[in-house]
Amino acid sequence: MQVVKLSLKKANKIPIEADNINPDNFAGKTAEEIKTIPLWYGNGQCPLGDFFTVEVEGSDSVENVKIVFEGDVSRVKRIGQNMSAGEIEINGNVDMHCGFGMKGGKIVINGDADSWLGCEMTGGEIILNGNASYYVGAGYRGEACGMKGGKITINGNAKDYLGEHMCGGEILVKGNVGLLPAISNNGGKIVIEGKATMPANEMKNGTVIIKGEVFDLLPSYKEEGTEEVEGVTYRKFTGDVNAGGKGVLLVK
Amino acid sequence: MSEILIKNASVCDPTQGINCETMDICIRDGKIVDSVSGNAKVIDAEGKLTMAGGFDGHTHSAGKINVGRFMNPNDARKTLVPGLSGQVARTEKTRAQVGYNTPNTYAIGYRYAKLGYTTICEAAIPLLAARHTHEEFKEIPILDKMGLSLFGSNWQVMEYIRDKEPEKLAAYIAWGLRASRGYGVKIVNPGGGEAWGWGRNVSGLYDPVPNFDVTPAEILMGLAEANERLQLPHSVHVHCNNLGKPGNYATTIETMKLFEKIKPSRDRQALHVTHVQFNAYAGTSWRDFETGAPMVADYVNGANHLTFDLGQVIFGPAVTMTADGPVEYANARMLHEKWSNQDIELEDASGVVPLFYSPKSFVNAVQWAIGLELALLVKDPWKVMFTTDSPNGGSFVNYPEAFTYLMSAKRRAEVISGFSKMALDRMVLPGIDRELDFYELAVMTRSTQSKMYSRPEKGNLKVGSDADIAIYDILPGQIDPSTEYVKVKEAFSGAAYTLKSGEIVVKDGEIEETPKGKTYWVNAKVPESIDTAMQKDIDRKFRKYYTVSKSNYMVEDSYLQKPVEIGTEGVF
Repeated sequence: MQVVKLSLKKANKIPIEADNINPDNFAGKTAEEIKTIPLWYGNGQCPLGDFFTVEVEGSDSVENVKIVFEGDVSRVKRIGQNMSAGEIEINGNVDMHCGFGMKGGKIVINGDADSWLGCEMTGGEIILNGNASYYVGAGYRGEACGMKGGKITINGNAKDYLGEHMCGGEILVKGNVGLLPAISNNGGKIVIEGKATMPANEMKNGTVIIKGEVFDLLPSYKEEGTEEVEGVTYRKFTGDVNAGGKGVLLVK
Repeated sequence: MSEILIKNASVCDPTQGINCETMDICIRDGKIVDSVSGNAKVIDAEGKLTMAGGFDGHTHSAGKINVGRFMNPNDARKTLVPGLSGQVARTEKTRAQVGYNTPNTYAIGYRYAKLGYTTICEAAIPLLAARHTHEEFKEIPILDKMGLSLFGSNWQVMEYIRDKEPEKLAAYIAWGLRASRGYGVKIVNPGGGEAWGWGRNVSGLYDPVPNFDVTPAEILMGLAEANERLQLPHSVHVHCNNLGKPGNYATTIETMKLFEKIKPSRDRQALHVTHVQFNAYAGTSWRDFETGAPMVADYVNGANHLTFDLGQVIFGPAVTMTADGPVEYANARMLHEKWSNQDIELEDASGVVPLFYSPKSFVNAVQWAIGLELALLVKDPWKVMFTTDSPNGGSFVNYPEAFTYLMSAKRRAEVISGFSKMALDRMVLPGIDRELDFYELAVMTRSTQSKMYSRPEKGNLKVGSDADIAIYDILPGQIDPSTEYVKVKEAFSGAAYTLKSGEIVVKDGEIEETPKGKTYWVNAKVPESIDTAMQKDIDRKFRKYYTVSKSNYMVEDSYLQKPVEIGTEGVF
C-alpha cells in the first residue's frame, strides 16, 4: 500500500490543472519525485511541490496507491483524469472535471464537486458525499457519447444536464436533480431518488428511474403500463418518441 | 536577391513530360530560372522525388468550414492522423493547432505545406459571405489561395437567363467575381438552392425552378456561355443536381453531355465536374444502391471537353458542408445527425452535417470504392484531379493514405477484405488492377490543376514558374509503390522540403517559415454601357431585397492578402 497525502499550502484563485494527479502517475514515486511533477497554473507550468505539501508512506503498484487530499481543493481541476486504478480521497470540495475519462479505481469526495464530474468515464467508481454541479457524467462539447461505464454515486443533489449523452454505466443520485437529467441518452442507467424536472429529453436508449416528484414530464413519452423494480411499482414510459427512442423512463 | 539551387533532383513534371529525370533546379526571387550564381544556397535533393508544389483545386478551407468548427468542438480533440491532426502546441515558428476535419486556419496552412501543397482553391464562396472568406484566407499561412464564387441559384442570374439577356448576365458574373474577389464560377445543384428556400428541390436538369421559370439545364448553359464570353481562366465548376442520390449517375452524364456544345474560349476544359464520387451512384434506392462509376468513366473516356475531381471517401469522421441545402437536410434526417442550415438571401442556401464513413456500412464501402474506380477507370489522368472534397469525403490530411489506394492494388485488397459481401457485389473495384505511378499521381495532384485553372506559373517546374516545390524522401525506381505503400504514405505525409515562392517553408516534415500567401482573383472586363445597365438592375435588387447595401457588399483589395488580379477581356 502506498499512501500519498497532498495538502494545499495556500488557497489559489487561478485554477490549477491537475490532470496528472492520479495513481497511475504517482505509483512507486517518492515524495521528492512527486513534487517535481509539473502542473498547469494559468498559462504556465509549475512543479506540484509549489502548491502542495507531499507526504508519502510506502511504495506500491497502481492498484494499491491511495491519494488523499487534505482540505479544500475547490480550485484544482481534473483530479484523477484518465486514472485506471487505485484510489483518490478528497476531504473537501473539488473543482471541475474531477475523474474525467476515468477508466478504473475509485474517487471519494467528502465535499461538493463542481461541473463535469466523471465525464466520459468508462470504468471505476466515484462517490460524492456532497452536491454536484452541472453535467455529471456528460461528454465533451459536441461528442456523441458521455459516460460509457463505471458508477457515480451522489449522496447530495445535482444540478442540470445530469448524464447528458450517457452511453453506459450507472449514476445514482440520492438527492434532487435540476433540469433535463438524462438528456440525449443512448444507454446506461440513472436512478434519481429525489425530484427531477423534464427528465430524459431525446433519450434513445437506457433506463431512468425517478423515485421522487417529476416536474414537467415531456409529452413525447408513451405510457406502457407499470413495472416493478425492487418491490416498488413505477409507471413505465418509453421514448423519447421524437428521437425514435427506445429508452425506459420509470416514475412514481 | 535570394537564390537557391536544388541539386540532383529526381524531377517529375508532367507538364513538361519529365518523368523522374535527374536535374538541377535554379530559383531566384521566388521564380524558377535558368541559372543562378555561385552564391546560391544549395539543397541536395539527390535520391529525392521532386515535384511542383501540390495544388488542391477543390477544398473547403475557409468560410463555411467555420460553421463546421462551431458544430464540432469535439473535432479539436481528434488525433486520427498523427502529426497532422489534433492539438499541437505552439512553437517558436508556429501557432497552436487544433482539429482534424475542421482545423483552425493556421493548422490548415501548416498541414497542407507539410504534405507538399502550396496552393488551394476554396470551392464555394457565397457572394454575400465573401468578406468573411477572405478574412479566413488571411489567417491561412503559407498557401496561395483562390476561391470560386457561387452563382447557380442566384436570382439575378436566373432572371437574366429567363429574360434572355446574356450580355447583362456576363456583366453580372464579372461584377460578382469583383465583389467577392473570386476566381471562377461555381454552380451547386443549379436551381436547387433557390427551391430549397421554399422547402423543395429540383429533381433533374429539366425541372423548373419555383418562381423563376428556368431549368437547371438553362442555368448551366447560361452560366457556361457567360463564363466563356468573359474568357475566364477557369471553366464553370459544377456540383451536379441530385447529389448523393442512388441513380444520379444518369443526371451526371446528362450534365456532361450538355456541355459538349460549349466551346471553351481558352485552352482548357469547357466543364469541371466536382466530387463525382457523390454523383456516380446507380440503383433506385439505398437498398439496391451500387456503383455507377463504370458508366461515368466510360463517358468521360470518350469525351474531351471536361475535367473532374473525385471527392474520395476516407473512412472515419467527416464533416459535409455544401451549398446544396436540400442534400444536407436529407443527410441529417437519414443519419440522425446534427444539422446546420443557412439561407443566403437572394443567392443560395447551404448546410453542414457531420457524419461518419464506416467500412462496415455497405453504402460507405461502395462510396469509398467509387472514388477510386473513377480515378482508375478513366484512362487519361489529365482529366482527373485528386481530392477528398475536404472535409466532405474526409480531411485533406489523409491524402497520403489515399495515394496508396491509387498506387497499390495490394493495399486496396487489404481494405476491401474487410467489406461485406453485399458491398463487394455493388462495386467493380476488386476487378481493377491498374496502379498509378508517380508520374500519373503528379498529373492528378498538380499538373491537371495548372491547366484547368489556366495558371501556367503553378503546378509545374518550368523556367518562369513560381518556385513552389515539394521534395519527397522517396525515389521512383528504387521503390515499388504497389508493395512498399507504407513508405509512400510516410514520404508524402511529411515533405523533405516544401518551397513556397522560393522560400523553404517545410524541412524534414517540420515547418520552417510561415510566409503569407497570395490571393488570386479575376477582374473581367465588360463594356461600360452593359455594365451600367446591369448595375441599375442590381441597385433595385439591393434596395428591395438585400439586408445589406451594395456599397457594403464589395470586398476591397485591402481585405486581401497580397492580392493578384487576373484581368480578362470579355468578348461582347
